[in-house]
Amino acid sequence: MIESILLWAFALLTAPLFAGVIFKVKAFFGGRKGSPVLINYYTLIKLFKKGSVYSTSTTFIFKLGPVVSLGAAATALLFLPIAGHAPVLSFNGDVIFVLYLLGLARFFTIAAAMDTASPFEGMGAAREAYFPIFCEASMFMILILFYRLTGDLNFAAYFSGGQPFGFWQTAGSPMLFVVIAFFIILLTENARVPVDDPATHLELTMIHEVMVLDHSGPDFGFIEMGAFLKMFFYSSIVARLIFPFELGNAALNLALFSLGVLIVYMTVGVTESIMARYRMDRVPKFVLTSFALAFFATVITLEFLK
Amino acid sequence: MKILGVLGISVGCGLGMLDALSKLSHDGSASASFVYLNTLSLAFQIDGLSAFFLLAIFGVCLLAAIYSFHYMNHPDKALRTATNYFFFSLLVASMALVVTADNMITFMLSWEIMSLSSFFLVIYDHQIPENRKAGYLYFIFSHVGAMFIFAAFGVLYGHTGSFGFDSAGLSQAAKMLAFVLAFIGFGSKAGVFPFHVWLPHAHPAAPSHISAVMSGVMIKTGIYGILRMYSIMDLHTPALGAMVLIFGMVSGVLGVVYALGQHDLKRLLAYHSVENIGIILIGIGIGMIGVEAKNPIMAVLGFSGGLLHVLNHSIFKSLLFMGAGVVIHKTGTRSIDALGGLLKKMKVTGVTFLVGSLAISGLPPFNGFVSEFFIYVGSFRGVPMETPVFVLSLLAIVSLAVIGGLALACFTKVVGVVFQGEPRSQAAHDVDEKGPTMLLPMVILAGACVVIGIYPGTFMFMAVKAVAALGLDYGRIPMEPFARMSANITLGATLFLALLLIILALRRILYQGKTIGRAGTWGCGFTQPTTRMQYTGSSYAASILDFFKPAAPLQEDHPPVSGLFPKGTHYHSHIHDIVELHLNRMVVKPVLWLFDKLRWIQHGDIHLYIGYILLAIVVLLFFV
Repeated sequence: MIESILLWAFALLTAPLFAGVIFKVKAFFGGRKGSPVLINYYTLIKLFKKGSVYSTSTTFIFKLGPVVSLGAAATALLFLPIAGHAPVLSFNGDVIFVLYLLGLARFFTIAAAMDTASPFEGMGAAREAYFPIFCEASMFMILILFYRLTGDLNFAAYFSGGQPFGFWQTAGSPMLFVVIAFFIILLTENARVPVDDPATHLELTMIHEVMVLDHSGPDFGFIEMGAFLKMFFYSSIVARLIFPFELGNAALNLALFSLGVLIVYMTVGVTESIMARYRMDRVPKFVLTSFALAFFATVITLEFLK
Repeated sequence: MKILGVLGISVGCGLGMLDALSKLSHDGSASASFVYLNTLSLAFQIDGLSAFFLLAIFGVCLLAAIYSFHYMNHPDKALRTATNYFFFSLLVASMALVVTADNMITFMLSWEIMSLSSFFLVIYDHQIPENRKAGYLYFIFSHVGAMFIFAAFGVLYGHTGSFGFDSAGLSQAAKMLAFVLAFIGFGSKAGVFPFHVWLPHAHPAAPSHISAVMSGVMIKTGIYGILRMYSIMDLHTPALGAMVLIFGMVSGVLGVVYALGQHDLKRLLAYHSVENIGIILIGIGIGMIGVEAKNPIMAVLGFSGGLLHVLNHSIFKSLLFMGAGVVIHKTGTRSIDALGGLLKKMKVTGVTFLVGSLAISGLPPFNGFVSEFFIYVGSFRGVPMETPVFVLSLLAIVSLAVIGGLALACFTKVVGVVFQGEPRSQAAHDVDEKGPTMLLPMVILAGACVVIGIYPGTFMFMAVKAVAALGLDYGRIPMEPFARMSANITLGATLFLALLLIILALRRILYQGKTIGRAGTWGCGFTQPTTRMQYTGSSYAASILDFFKPAAPLQEDHPPVSGLFPKGTHYHSHIHDIVELHLNRMVVKPVLWLFDKLRWIQHGDIHLYIGYILLAIVVLLFFV
């Protein structure tokens, strides 16, 4: 239990660090030196030191939005086995609880954006409401596959210990589809290229960044932190799938896990460096690819399991 | 006088609710019978299932009655208000009778009283032609539906020869026929796609407390009817479970898609009733499939999740309709795109509406999540099984996920456009929040959403008690697994709330002694924003609707801007309900054509009319 809580704290503390890696990778591709890896910590400290300016249009929901999105992401990590260690909390159906909790965070992020009366933020909000619909369908499709493989409905049964290795053994190559499907979900849910471009300069073309235009100071810091945690949440799932091994030693497990997470973040950085953002009406097709892959993986494994 | 009416209805409902609660907590049942007109026997019985529905009916009607006190403040329409209360009390009584009726005669009698009294409630504002039209549409649908129920009962009566709810001696084929007929009949009351056409017309037409009652509980009598028919007939046809599930999925997904496209606040909520009836049917369908697949856990989870959603939906939907009622009462408009910024001036309405929106989107820690959670877990139970069950569970899970996402999109639209941002019209600007009896019921309902969402245990037991009354031959359903699942939800929710409190405390510390400024919204460099530049509900939903174009054709009227000095333009959009479209083309027009051709029968000559009557009697004599 103590170890689980420590690992949870590890996730909370290192999530900004990993996110800094993406900048480095992008800088490398751009031939620049790039910002220091610790840039996100500096940003958070800077934001927490500041005060805020609130729009006269806003209500309490605007202030509640960042708190809820950070709270939901932190709660979600409580249920996730970090580095293959048993999570802080686990119960039958916790996967559904966590996915819907992230839905709650999305509701409040959108509501906070709509609170400002800004047409730009409304535009971002509409997109934020649209694309994750398919993500959720895809996520549940993957859960169906996992349920068939394990007969359980909690993260602990999927990602703790050598469990992910069991997936590869029973399901085999269709698991590759699942990894890609998860990666697409990761890109969509965390507003990365090719769904959203966090570095673009035009508000019209943004999704997530435009929704938080009016947030400032500690509130904005909470939003950033929530985004780091959410990214870490999805990355650690992918990391556990690509390095499904149990090494029998907590320190080695953590090292391997961190390496896996690092690779995921670097892949995100590479994707961002070599791809452009899709036109908005192409994005649903991209996300639906994830659903199709998960669906095929499930159908193919139907035969294996007999 | 009005206060007497309100008091009478609310005290009656309160007493009924207490009795239903005691029946649910002590496994109690009661029955009574009378002889009516010397020939017909009226029999009533209360079991777990009835008591569960009674709880929802009395609970919502009690609050709706209180709400109506300040809502119906039209001294100039005294007679009309009195009529409204008369039919309202009739509706409450008839709904209670419907769910307690123990034979066909009693059931149909109460059913008809219910349909007729609600018809008169719908046409409250009958000076508006649109409302009259909605009323007629409802009238036709409820009676065509009643005809199907009559037909189903006829099949039963034809085989058993008694009016009792009994299916002894029926062949499987006859049972199936009776169930399908009853499903269509009850489905048209419940608003199951494609029998839902009346619903989005009738609910907006009625006064808001009536919409709350109709959408919150009256349409659930259709669900009650389906469940009752299922428990009467010992069905062994896997296809029926699949049928219920597929109707549920289609209702769920299309209901919310159509809701997204609405511009009328109450119409939008009405379409959400179609969606939620869909979720309830998915639960029931999973239950029926579980029974066929000999998977008791799946069966009980499906049924109890569906039933709990009946209660939950009655709570948050009546809350939302009441909230919409306050908005309409104060602003005088139902158009979503004319509102905005109401949260600042209508704190109670805004916050309770927000709670209702979160609950209807199925998000934790609110009650909508709990019932969806149980349906999900039940559906997952079917995943490891063999193919028809596997495929159906898969469909149920994916459609629930899609419904969840779409509902979130729809309610962020409602909350965002109606309650947040800046007022889009003068009407939305000059609002206040008066009328404590309107606000109190909403606060109570919002409280119920949170309480059930965090402590679902007791309510889950009630739903399981109701499932036990279905007669699934599982003996006593063990409560232990349900208690554990409820405790898990409680644990997860409290943990989340605790973290939230910690972050809030942290936020307070971080903001200590900081300068907090207030300014206009950042316009990305544009310094002269107007409220008309805000994103509207139509634009918010446009891209999602575009994706669902085949099922929800959008008609747009937008003359292009052209020339160097363009004239003003306008934009108007309307989303077509494909059922309405096809019903009009394939049923209404041919029927009208046929009746037009038969017009010569109706000539106004009384002698010939008497001749018709004689002829009819003579012809009938051959058959009797």
